[in-house]
Amino acid sequence: MSSDSTGALPREGGPVSRVRAALLQKRTRPGEHAYTVLRWGGAGLFAAVVVALLISIAASSSQALAHSGVGFLWSGTWNPAAGEYGAGILVVGTLLTTAVAMVIVVPIGLGTAAFLSELAPGWLAGPLSTLIGLLAAVPSIVVGLWGLIVLTPIFANQVEPFLASMPLLGWLFRGEAYGPSILLASVVLAVMTLPTMVALSRTALAAVPVADREAALALGATRWQAVRKAVIPAARSGIQAAVTLAVGRAMGESIAVAMVIGNRPALPTSLTAPGATLGSAIVNQFAEASPGLGASSVIALGAVLLLLTVAVNAGGQALLRSGGGHRAGTAGALR
Amino acid sequence: MSGGPFDRAEPLTLVAEQPAAANTAASALTHGHQSSAAPPAVTLEGVRVSFGDHVAVRNVTLAIPARQVTALIGPSGCGKTTLLRAVNRLHDHTGGRVDGSIKLGDIDVYGADTRPELIRRRIGMVFQRPNPFPAMSVFENVVSGLRFNGVRGRAMLRDAAESALRHAALWDTVKDRLHQPAVRLSGGQQQRLCIARALAVEPDVLLMDEPCSALDPIATAKIEELITRLAADVTIVLVTHNMFQAARVSDQAAVFLLGEDRVGELVEAGATDELFHEPKNPRTRDYVAGRVG
Amino acid sequence: MSVASAVSRRELVRAAAQRSLTRRRINGRIAQALCAVAAVASVAPLVALLYYTISRGAQVLSWGFLVNAPTPPGIPGGGISTAITGSAEIVGLALVIAIPIALLAALFLFERSGRLAAALRFSADVLTGVPSIIIGIFAYALLVLPLHAFSDLAAAFALAVLMLPIMIRADEEAMRTIALDLWEAGIALGARRGRVARSVVLRGALPDLVTGNLLAIARAVGETAPLLFTLATPVAAMTLLIYTDGTQAFPIAQETAWGTALVLLAFVLLLSVAAKIAAWRISRRAR
Repeated sequence: MSSDSTGALPREGGPVSRVRAALLQKRTRPGEHAYTVLRWGGAGLFAAVVVALLISIAASSSQALAHSGVGFLWSGTWNPAAGEYGAGILVVGTLLTTAVAMVIVVPIGLGTAAFLSELAPGWLAGPLSTLIGLLAAVPSIVVGLWGLIVLTPIFANQVEPFLASMPLLGWLFRGEAYGPSILLASVVLAVMTLPTMVALSRTALAAVPVADREAALALGATRWQAVRKAVIPAARSGIQAAVTLAVGRAMGESIAVAMVIGNRPALPTSLTAPGATLGSAIVNQFAEASPGLGASSVIALGAVLLLLTVAVNAGGQALLRSGGGHRAGTAGALR
Repeated sequence: MSGGPFDRAEPLTLVAEQPAAANTAASALTHGHQSSAAPPAVTLEGVRVSFGDHVAVRNVTLAIPARQVTALIGPSGCGKTTLLRAVNRLHDHTGGRVDGSIKLGDIDVYGADTRPELIRRRIGMVFQRPNPFPAMSVFENVVSGLRFNGVRGRAMLRDAAESALRHAALWDTVKDRLHQPAVRLSGGQQQRLCIARALAVEPDVLLMDEPCSALDPIATAKIEELITRLAADVTIVLVTHNMFQAARVSDQAAVFLLGEDRVGELVEAGATDELFHEPKNPRTRDYVAGRVG
Repeated sequence: MSVASAVSRRELVRAAAQRSLTRRRINGRIAQALCAVAAVASVAPLVALLYYTISRGAQVLSWGFLVNAPTPPGIPGGGISTAITGSAEIVGLALVIAIPIALLAALFLFERSGRLAAALRFSADVLTGVPSIIIGIFAYALLVLPLHAFSDLAAAFALAVLMLPIMIRADEEAMRTIALDLWEAGIALGARRGRVARSVVLRGALPDLVTGNLLAIARAVGETAPLLFTLATPVAAMTLLIYTDGTQAFPIAQETAWGTALVLLAFVLLLSVAAKIAAWRISRRAR
């Protein structure tokens, strides 16, 4: 049973720290009880909220799951009017929009991070990265509004026809193109996850010791060679963490996606066709869901989304913590 | 080694004779017992390195003889490492400003026509803490310099890697582990790997910045032995704060101390034996006797 | 290894280095240019967002817009005052709920180490990543469904749950970096824990606490999904109003949406910039 000791790590073992430890040990004094109660109360309330969240979502989706069974997860039809509830097609939509968003975000984000961290002149890097960070503060509804009103016509009239005419990849973009589409949703997601990718990648690159870059230069490498072959590979796991966390964020975004994706829960024939994701379906369907099975099914979609995002985010956090390149065997190793 | 710590078993090797330069007390040139026709590998004249308003080291005039070990010694903070990094233009990337002239043979290192990448290939560097590229295997580390410089050819790379590793006394240890991650080696092995990596691009000069300071005594001894052997092929400039190491390993030494204005300066340079036994400058005498630094 | 081959290798390397230099430098320039393009592409969305929001929102923006209550469709002179005050009330209520709990929980984590604290920290980290729509569903299931009514309280609760994990971690971080030594000194002097906490820790860490919480507030103000599930009318909050009006096809509705978006954006950006300036000031003082 751990005593209510200080959360600090003990300093060097020695007489001073022993005295300190003795002084810091739990002593019940009058008036301390209230404080302890308050602290435990705060922590307890938070824990209760977390537990209540899990329980209420599970409970509310139980009706739908009882009705459809585990097949709910991959059943391909979402047709409330016909009483068919299956998350499968929506999971596909979520994964698809996230994947396309990542295709856009990862190169641009990494390139930007490399620019800010290694290639930009000193006076530029700070203000520029602050500016990019501000993008993260923009509420998702504003991005969605902009996507809906400004981007939709541009995409329908210019971008999508242009993409459809491209020699190699044009087939991805052929088909109906009247605006709301998987592609547009992916672009909106890209805009929203870009700051995360840039910030975390930049941290990963900055964490690479200067000595690595200098070692490459000392061999006769150009600056870019040093960045590409020495710095970026050393930052690999931090960059992976950045991508994973960006994916988690993209999967969970619902409002902005709902506004631009067209709300059609069917397998898309091209990227320019409308589609639906877990988040967008919840937003679009919630108001009209029939109480009971309908509402429960929408909430069950939320449960699926919760599982997905928690899994991805936990993975991302673990990657962040496991840190970057190892330097084993230095300083004082034998032999 | 017999006798006291500053005695050396071998006779002095040939030292290049230099024309006289500035006559200030603080500047010194290498003197030779015998003259030799071999031109110095690196010549520094009036070199000063500063960061903004702060001068780190100044007024260094020194000739580094070819194919010998020259040690830059002195207490820490006197500008030895800063000076070393000026030789291979690392200060291009740190914001340091280098005045004066540094020449590799006839080539002005800081000349307008000189390409830094090419000069850096010819002047290799080994750093204080072993720094193999963590994302690469042993083999990839050794040939990384060659790849940077546009050498392809698998056979060529393999031969070069073996040769470099043999020169660094590491081949037998790693020949069966060439494709394992380099970070799995011990500290001493990693440092020898870094030496092999630097050697692989066939430099004329090898700069070593306190290469043993992060290593245990046994690894240190191996590297010191390696240094004396390598000097036959490549000129070595060694920064060390360890006088005994300098005495063990170097042919020439240059002593750097802090001037009154806390700027590093070259106090005396000469054959290692002379410097330690019959120093000409009283400040050198104080440093060598342990009274200073 | 014969001397001849060693010499020829030396020559080969020298030649290869020389020959490849131009190509290597050109590659570097191209790569640098591409990275610069990427950086521009990273700033472009913000610029575009600001441009459109400001230009379209400003058309509608007026003193009346801010101050008047909404009028039925077709009747001019309406404004979004109810949405503004609604947002303020809901966020304010959320803060009243979240700030004390976050502070106490952070004090708990600050003092304890061990599996319980680790589990709590882990759940806080996980909870920050939970999509806001899930939190909306949670508030709906907990407070709306049983009471058969939407309510401001439910909305405030949802926002509080959203802010709670962010605030807890930020608070604990602030306490650890600033006040650890102060706290130990206070305890060692024999003072009661609660007193030490109040006078030393909280006071010392106050600037950092405020900064960390400002960002959480900025995030909460901009959330829409939780409000979808808990509020009855769109005019009860700015974000909800933007969503309802923005998705309608009528130009007037869309204009209102832009105007509201401008107000919201201005507020959120101001808050974020204030938080950044405060953080910068604090780190400067620490130096």
